[in-house]
Amino acid sequence: MERTTQRMIEIPRDVMTGEELWQPGVLSCQGCGGSLAMKLALKGLGRRTVIVLPACCMSIIVGAYPYSTSQVPLLHVPFETAAAGASGVRAALDIRGEEDVVVMAWAGDGGTFDIGLQALSGAAERNEDILYVCYDNEAYMNTGIQRSGATPAGAWTTTTPDKAVKEESKKDIERIMLSHDIPYMATASVAYPADIYAKFKKIRSIKGTKFIHILSPCPPGWQIDSADSIKVSRMATQSNVFPIYEVENGKYTINVYPEKEVTVKEYMKTQGRFRYITDDAVNAAQEWTDRKWEKLKGMLK
Amino acid sequence: MRQLLKGNYAVAEGARLCRVKVVSVYPITPQTTIVERLSEICASGELDAKFIKVESEHSAMATLVGASSAGVRAFTATSSNGLLLMHEVLHWVAGARLPIVMTNVNRAVSGGWNIWADQTDSISQRDTGWLQIYCESSQEVLDSVIMAYRLAEKILMPVMLTYDAFFLSHTTEVVDVPDIELVDEFLPPYQPEFKLDIDNPRMFGGLMSPDYFYEHRYTVHKASQEALEYYPEVCREFRDIFGRDYDITEEYRTDGAEVIVVTTGTITSVVRITVDKMREAGRKVGLMKLRMFRPVPVDRWRSILGNVAKVVVIDRNLSPGLGGVFADEVQAALYSLENRPSIYPVVAGLGGRDVTPADIEGIINHALSSDDPAGVPLFWGLKE
Amino acid sequence: MAVKKRSDLGVIYEFKTWRDITPMNTSAGTMLHNKTGSWRTIKPVFENKTPACQNSCPAGNDIEGWIKLLQQGEYEKAYWHLKREEPFPSVLGRVCFRFCEEACNRIPFDDCVGISALERFIGDRDASLVPHPDLPEYNGKSMAVVGSGPAGMSAAYFGRLLGFRVAIFEKLQVMGGVLRVGIPEYRLPRDIIAAEFEGLAAMGIELRPGTAIGKDISLEELTGRYDYIFLATGAHGSRKLDIDGEDESRRIMSGLEMLRKVSLGEDVACGKKVAVIGGGNTAIDVARTALRMGSAVTVIYRRSEDEMPANPEEVLEAREEGARFRFLAAPERIELNDDGSIKKLICCEMELAPADESGRIRPAKKDGALFDVETDSILTSIGEVPILDYLKGIAGNEKDVVAVDGTLMVNTGGNGKIFAGGDIIDIQRTVVNAVASGKKAAIAIDCDYRSADFGDVLKEISIGNGSALSFSRYMNWNPETPQNIHMVVDSEKIVYDYFEKAPRVMQKTGDAETRKNSFNAYRETFTEDEAQQEASRCMHCGRCIECDNCLIFCPDMSVLPEGDGQFGYEFDYDYCKGCGICFTECPRHAITMVSEEEGDK
Ligand SMILES: Cc1cc2nc3c(=O)[nH]c(=O)nc-3n(C[C@H](O)[C@H](O)[C@H](O)COP(=O)(O)OP(=O)(O)OC[C@H]3O[C@@H](n4cnc5c(N)ncnc54)[C@H](O)[C@@H]3O)c2cc1C
Ligand SMILES: Cc1ncc(C[n+]2csc(CCOP(=O)(O)OP(=O)(O)O)c2C)c(N)n1
Ligand code: SF4
Ligand code: SF4
Ligand code: SF4
Ligand SMILES: [Mg+2]
Repeated sequence: MERTTQRMIEIPRDVMTGEELWQPGVLSCQGCGGSLAMKLALKGLGRRTVIVLPACCMSIIVGAYPYSTSQVPLLHVPFETAAAGASGVRAALDIRGEEDVVVMAWAGDGGTFDIGLQALSGAAERNEDILYVCYDNEAYMNTGIQRSGATPAGAWTTTTPDKAVKEESKKDIERIMLSHDIPYMATASVAYPADIYAKFKKIRSIKGTKFIHILSPCPPGWQIDSADSIKVSRMATQSNVFPIYEVENGKYTINVYPEKEVTVKEYMKTQGRFRYITDDAVNAAQEWTDRKWEKLKGMLK
Repeated sequence: MRQLLKGNYAVAEGARLCRVKVVSVYPITPQTTIVERLSEICASGELDAKFIKVESEHSAMATLVGASSAGVRAFTATSSNGLLLMHEVLHWVAGARLPIVMTNVNRAVSGGWNIWADQTDSISQRDTGWLQIYCESSQEVLDSVIMAYRLAEKILMPVMLTYDAFFLSHTTEVVDVPDIELVDEFLPPYQPEFKLDIDNPRMFGGLMSPDYFYEHRYTVHKASQEALEYYPEVCREFRDIFGRDYDITEEYRTDGAEVIVVTTGTITSVVRITVDKMREAGRKVGLMKLRMFRPVPVDRWRSILGNVAKVVVIDRNLSPGLGGVFADEVQAALYSLENRPSIYPVVAGLGGRDVTPADIEGIINHALSSDDPAGVPLFWGLKE
Repeated sequence: MAVKKRSDLGVIYEFKTWRDITPMNTSAGTMLHNKTGSWRTIKPVFENKTPACQNSCPAGNDIEGWIKLLQQGEYEKAYWHLKREEPFPSVLGRVCFRFCEEACNRIPFDDCVGISALERFIGDRDASLVPHPDLPEYNGKSMAVVGSGPAGMSAAYFGRLLGFRVAIFEKLQVMGGVLRVGIPEYRLPRDIIAAEFEGLAAMGIELRPGTAIGKDISLEELTGRYDYIFLATGAHGSRKLDIDGEDESRRIMSGLEMLRKVSLGEDVACGKKVAVIGGGNTAIDVARTALRMGSAVTVIYRRSEDEMPANPEEVLEAREEGARFRFLAAPERIELNDDGSIKKLICCEMELAPADESGRIRPAKKDGALFDVETDSILTSIGEVPILDYLKGIAGNEKDVVAVDGTLMVNTGGNGKIFAGGDIIDIQRTVVNAVASGKKAAIAIDCDYRSADFGDVLKEISIGNGSALSFSRYMNWNPETPQNIHMVVDSEKIVYDYFEKAPRVMQKTGDAETRKNSFNAYRETFTEDEAQQEASRCMHCGRCIECDNCLIFCPDMSVLPEGDGQFGYEFDYDYCKGCGICFTECPRHAITMVSEEEGDK
């Protein structure tokens, strides 16, 4: 197994210093992974991109009327309609002969795992030529930290308060998406920017539905110091809580084998949202993580 | 070319003639045959459009948000529960000023399944901002689709055309299907000033603070009202090219009428026959066919109804706790007139219950003979 | 400031009536009018700091600085950069005890960077033949250096760089002190030392071998002739064993003397079997020199191997070459034959008592546990002491060393400005400490000349938390890099996730058999490839290398590269929200967070 650490210099200098499609002045909190993920994604995608954005933090971050931080066209759509909206834009662009323009639906975990799942499943089943990105901050952050299907077991949210933290594990969205036989499915994390860049660059040449699931830390929601948001995300991968891999036409590749290994407990310790978790739940989370990781490695064969 | 067409097929023909570019439709009785027909003509190439076979009406309308924002002509059709499922997106479309055209087959709204004619579905969308035009015949439906795009794309507002389940959707009539070249002359390709455009990147539908939202809503209101001025022009041009005459509101034998019946949809045809019959019998009755319901053509209603003693409004819809919604709105429109007529609100034909000429005569007679204070809804034909 | 003022591009949309609502109520432009910098309470600043290695180098060698140049293939620049803090890379690249490597931040990760081998590589590239690039005009003052060991060499070098006219007086006919007459040739070839003196001479430093102060010229006379004196006469007397039989034997010699004789090509007869007494580096050098002269060698040391002060690597090499070690043993007495030759050396077994308050473990004799060591000769290396006769009447001395104040000045009671350094003062006796003291004295002398307060200067130029001084900072070289030389970047501040493990490249070393048959150097200088490979392991602790991490990770697009081919970045404080991600994710801690209000840490 090839080991990969992150040497961040893999994003070409001229790309990093070049045209900024996501301009500053954004309305994200300090240390927001979402805004960072978007900036990096656009570095990989380039100008010929249209963003379709349902309700989520990003719909605020991007700026309020009559201003927009996005230097590519962007369409706001209702909360549960990212995939459908993107399908429509795709159809129209195809008619306009702009097949090369990437239509990117960009939704939160709520908009993906929960309310938008139906539209997403529909689009994936039709194999719409769209890129669907879920930036996953593991709760409904826009509305003030409520649990979503992506919230991990043991986490505090305002709807899973201290006396009743979430018991259920995170929904396995990757498996759901893969069951649609889409040509490209990948996970990514803002802790591994070069990987994000490479993946967004790659999808340009793939026809059909592409799904990228980006772990994207939220300092207020995870109750971490804004300065630590990358570090904590990195630990998510180092602990195998959030493995970084891609599945291209059924072929699995694990993109990051972290050199440093971290336990789920150590990962959870870094975040205030896990402070009510019991030892049993930590152990269960560790088992869950190990099981999933073994299963993933099994898919490589 | 004159053809025998069911109402639903007339709709599909309308969409074809308008060269819609993106179609996104989800089946529901009694709209289903539109989906089928559109599938066929898209597959055969008769219509060069992308047909997105979505997984719900909500997504149907949402895909059109995408398509229309990207600057192409978009079409869908639905009915009843399907329309209600779209509700959230309907508001969105109007707020976003997207000139989408949709036909809705008026069907009762469940619970307690009922698939027959009833306008409660479209009535309950009246505040979404969509323009609403109620149609009476297959020909009118077809023609209205063509005119709707002219109107919608001019004022940048979505238009909903409605017609009754089965009475029209599944009834075969002779329809004059115009030549597509003539339609092209009437309806130029859609070329919006702004669309999702790589070379002119803009953001559509961004967050609006209280500093802007009020004014924004006002522009939506203004745009809707523009239809009152522009639609008659559209109708005139349509008549010049196609020889058929339409208007925002239509009058029939209202001269010197003591009572005018206000109707929508297929009941209008029944009323028309009844009016003819009663006029022959010397009775002073007339008809006002209400086509455009949003925006509300208050002035037209006032000028037609302002000088008559009694007005009967027949509603094939029910807002429980209120009664019929058309009656309510007509009353509101006339209220400030000094010599306002007495208004007799009638609810009839809910859920596809047949409304016959005899029913209409009965209703008119009731109104003429009644000294009841107007305003209390009469549930005509209710088994008591 | 190369910052493109992006905030100037932010356009406020004029909105007065409902008619100003844009068609299809679309938004455009940017959010640049929204200066999110106002949200900030703490802000990042780019600030290079002192790497752990430099902090631990007594001479304050700017290791990271020249490794960076080395990596760029700029060997000559690297050479001169190195020499700004540490003037003798070919020498120290061979004989230094490598305090820097012990502190290297790579140690918790894999293994230290081979700093000394790289230093040697740079030193050996002969750049010394070109004129010194930083040489100033003379300042009109003169300085006499007494003793040509590393302390004297260093004081002369830095003194000259400060503008002093310098002369080095050396008692012996050869220059270099212990480098020349102590450290054996196989560790430090003589041509290397000669080249360093050529370099010093080329700088205009006068070399006066064969001139003993106190004998050929008195110290008073020297004080009269020179504005400043720097004493660095080293420790050349040897401590005695103080046991019976010692004074009577012809076959007992101080190791230091033996090394000096060998170095000067004088005859030394060692005998077939040699006992070396002591456990320091001198003892090992003595033992290995004896091995090379064909003797069988036993090293006798009072404590156990763990306590031995000698460099373990050298102990290992001595073993490989055949030296035997007898630990926990101390000479008790010597029995002589009638001809004065040694009959036997009687030693006592020792045991280790628990550590005393100074932390050092004291050995104690085991009662009656005596044993014999058969040997022809005994070489002692149990300690060297300075010989300070020339100071008599000028300055007092405490114990065996010269008393100096914080500026290394000797209290002469007004009889001239005399400073001292190297082995004659109370510092660790190593080459690099000697070099450091020479640097410090030169700066102190310059301060005296310029009437600057040395204490104030010290605050400015002290590197990290150690004793090293930055000559570059004193000279105001590199003023353009915002540097905080006082803050040390240790391993806790390194984000190891950004580095890859890589095995250390070792210098090729001859095998023991060939080694012990010759006085030739047996370790090879890195090839260019080896040097590059090893240099690439340096993590550049505390020093920005434009890895782009901060630029890549900034969620607010507020790290701007300096334009126009300039090095580095600037923060766009109009938008930086002060999240601190750049600070945490800088692999090497080259960013500091400072509070907005107070402007401090
Ligand atoms: C055998 C041996 C091996 C060593 N190995 C290492 C090693 O590998 N690494 C390391 O870091 N350190 C080593 N050291 C220690 C190191 O060499 C010394 O600490 C260092 O050389 C001290 O430098 P110095 O300039 O003070 O004195 P020295 O190097 O001793 O130089 C003093 C010079 O002054 C001259 N002198 C003396 N009196 C007078 C006078 N009156 N007038 C004129 N000149 C005079 C002497 O002849 C001599 O040349 C070793 C020491 C020894 C003895
Ligand atoms: C139909 C509908 N239901 C609820 C909401 C309210 N709402 C807006 S954003 C949001 C949560 C978004 O969560 P997620 O998708 O995870 O994005 P995040 O804000 O966490 O980035 C909710 C519940 C809505 N806008 N629309
Ligand atoms: S709440 Fe979380 S996801 Fe939302 S803007 Fe703030 S940091 Fe980003
Ligand atoms: S990695 Fe380089 S800069 Fe850091 S301590 Fe080691 S040698 Fe010095
Ligand atoms: S992150 Fe990299 S580029 Fe930024 S300051 Fe640190 S070393 Fe320099
Ligand atoms: Mg979320």
